Amino acid sequence: MAARPGTSVGALRALIVEAGEYLCAVPVHQVVRVLRALPVHPLPGAAPELLGLAEFTGEPIPVLDLCRLVKAPPGPRPPTPVTVVAWAGPPEARELVGLAADSALEIVEIAPAEVVAAGTQTLCGEASVGGRPVRVLNLEALGAP
Amino acid sequence: MLRGSDALPGSPLTGLLLMIGFGLLGSVGLAVGLSHGTPSWVFYTVLPIGVALLVLYVVLVFLPHTAQHRALVEATEAAQRLEERLGDTSAHIQAGDLVATLALAERLPPRLAVSFANAARSLGALVQQIQNSSIEVAVAGNAVNATASELASGSSEQAAGVVEITATMEELARTAAQIAANAASQAELALHAEQTGDTGAAAVEDALHGVEEVQKRISGIASRADTLGARSKEIYRVLDLITEIAQETHLLSLNATIEAVAAGEHGRRFSVVADEVRRLAQRSQESVASVRSLLDEFAGSIRATVVATEEGGKEAGHVLERAQSAAAAIAELRGALADTARAAREISFATQQQRTASDQVVLTLKEVSQVIQRMAEGLKHFSGTAERLNQLALSIQMLTQSFRLDSSRSLKNLGERWADEVALRAGHWEALGSQIEETVRHSPFVELVYVADMNGNVVVSAANPEWVGSDSQSSAVTAGVNAKDRPWFQAVLRDGRTVITPLYESLLTGERCFTVASPVRQAGGPVIGVLGIDVNLRSWTKI
Repeated sequence: MAARPGTSVGALRALIVEAGEYLCAVPVHQVVRVLRALPVHPLPGAAPELLGLAEFTGEPIPVLDLCRLVKAPPGPRPPTPVTVVAWAGPPEARELVGLAADSALEIVEIAPAEVVAAGTQTLCGEASVGGRPVRVLNLEALGAP
Repeated sequence: MLRGSDALPGSPLTGLLLMIGFGLLGSVGLAVGLSHGTPSWVFYTVLPIGVALLVLYVVLVFLPHTAQHRALVEATEAAQRLEERLGDTSAHIQAGDLVATLALAERLPPRLAVSFANAARSLGALVQQIQNSSIEVAVAGNAVNATASELASGSSEQAAGVVEITATMEELARTAAQIAANAASQAELALHAEQTGDTGAAAVEDALHGVEEVQKRISGIASRADTLGARSKEIYRVLDLITEIAQETHLLSLNATIEAVAAGEHGRRFSVVADEVRRLAQRSQESVASVRSLLDEFAGSIRATVVATEEGGKEAGHVLERAQSAAAAIAELRGALADTARAAREISFATQQQRTASDQVVLTLKEVSQVIQRMAEGLKHFSGTAERLNQLALSIQMLTQSFRLDSSRSLKNLGERWADEVALRAGHWEALGSQIEETVRHSPFVELVYVADMNGNVVVSAANPEWVGSDSQSSAVTAGVNAKDRPWFQAVLRDGRTVITPLYESLLTGERCFTVASPVRQAGGPVIGVLGIDVNLRSWTKI
């Protein structure tokens, strides 16, 4: 069960975003900014998850397709797509990346005990928020080799 | 007839015998007297006186009387011969044989011969004239009869035709009456329809005005709906703007929360504010969504209203067009109904006149029919009169044929002549048959000619091919026929003259005919047979 922000100690505070049919949770401490979808300049020959490069505070950042990243089935056309700018990679070599999501919903607290480990590198596990399954992203592992 | 004994009651021979008787009686008396003493002078006186008287009687009475008697006998014989000739002549006249009368008249004394000949010729001329006249009368009667029959037939057909025309005219009159009634009813209906058309035209006119007003109202509604639609779009733009602001506020609250989290304990209060802002933004979005939903419904209603008003406007336009067409049609219909009513009145009037005329024609035709029927009856009576006239002429013709004239139209004379020719070939039947056939072929009024011997057996015959056909055998017609019991055969043998039978129906043709039967004499002497000629009446009267 997700907790209200600031009500419990040791809980994970995460930004809930929509990615296709899935809900994903991005740890708040890794989020830098939630913006309207940034204009993306695609890179030729890039991986399918990499939509391209966007400009944030004067610097180019890679923008990843969150749906492809979590392998979510595509949902309806989002009315207000957003780009979540967050730190990715290990703390010693973190980089700003943009995550292209359908919408940013809210910030919730997730008890670590509710997180069920998942078998992939990009996810810490899955939890239940408001009765719906939420996939908790592991952004530190995103930039690991 | 005066006889000699009647003219001279005492004949000379009787007187002489009386004288001789008286002389003998005187002589006997004288002798008796002398024997009884009578004186002799008496004897010698009486005797010479007696002789002298006897001589005187012979000379003065007997001889002249004997000469007169002889002359009287001769005259009597001559008178008897004359009587016989006169009898024969009269008998021929009585029998109507004027040819024989003329022949016998030549044997009469000249004055009588001339008188008889003149009388016979006059009678013959009269009979011939009567015969010719009767033939003409018969022909005229036939013609009148045929014409009258034709006219009567024509009159009957005409009467029947008039009856049919009368029935047709009556039917026409009834039809005209029915048409007149129908036309009057039609005129009344047309008038009513015209009035109804006027009412309908007024109603359509009102409907036109109403539809035009409705169309104007619909146009006004459509205009207002367009205005509302435009305002709705403005509201949508405002809502979009509010939505966008709410989203931005939402993102801003999220970022504020993120920053508050990053600030740690210092950002806790800020986090609460950010959360409130996020909620406010969320409520704003919900309110916008609610307003948008209401506005969608409102816009949908407006669009439906616009569509409805457009359709209503189009329908009103169509209704207006149809109403205008209906008004034009009703106006045209009113004109047509007025024309129909007028035409129906004219038809009614005309058919009433036609009915009156038809009734008059029917009356006239009935009168004509009666006249024709009377005329037909008169013609039938006329035809009957003509038929009787024809029969009368035929009877006269048959009466005139009882005379034998020296004429080709005298059948008795014809029979006698043919009988003489037959007599020349009596016994040579084959040659006679050919001759008769040739004769018959040139006599179209003859059906059959035959010759019977004294026993009544028909020995030769010839039928006219014109009546029995060319293939028929003449002998077959009279084969096995015996005329011995026939009245004409018996009459010819009895009287020795040509006879003509009454009319009877021919066994050969089924038509009326009569037979001319003439005696066949051997060299003008005894009768050796009878010649029969069957004459067709219709053909004979035509001749």
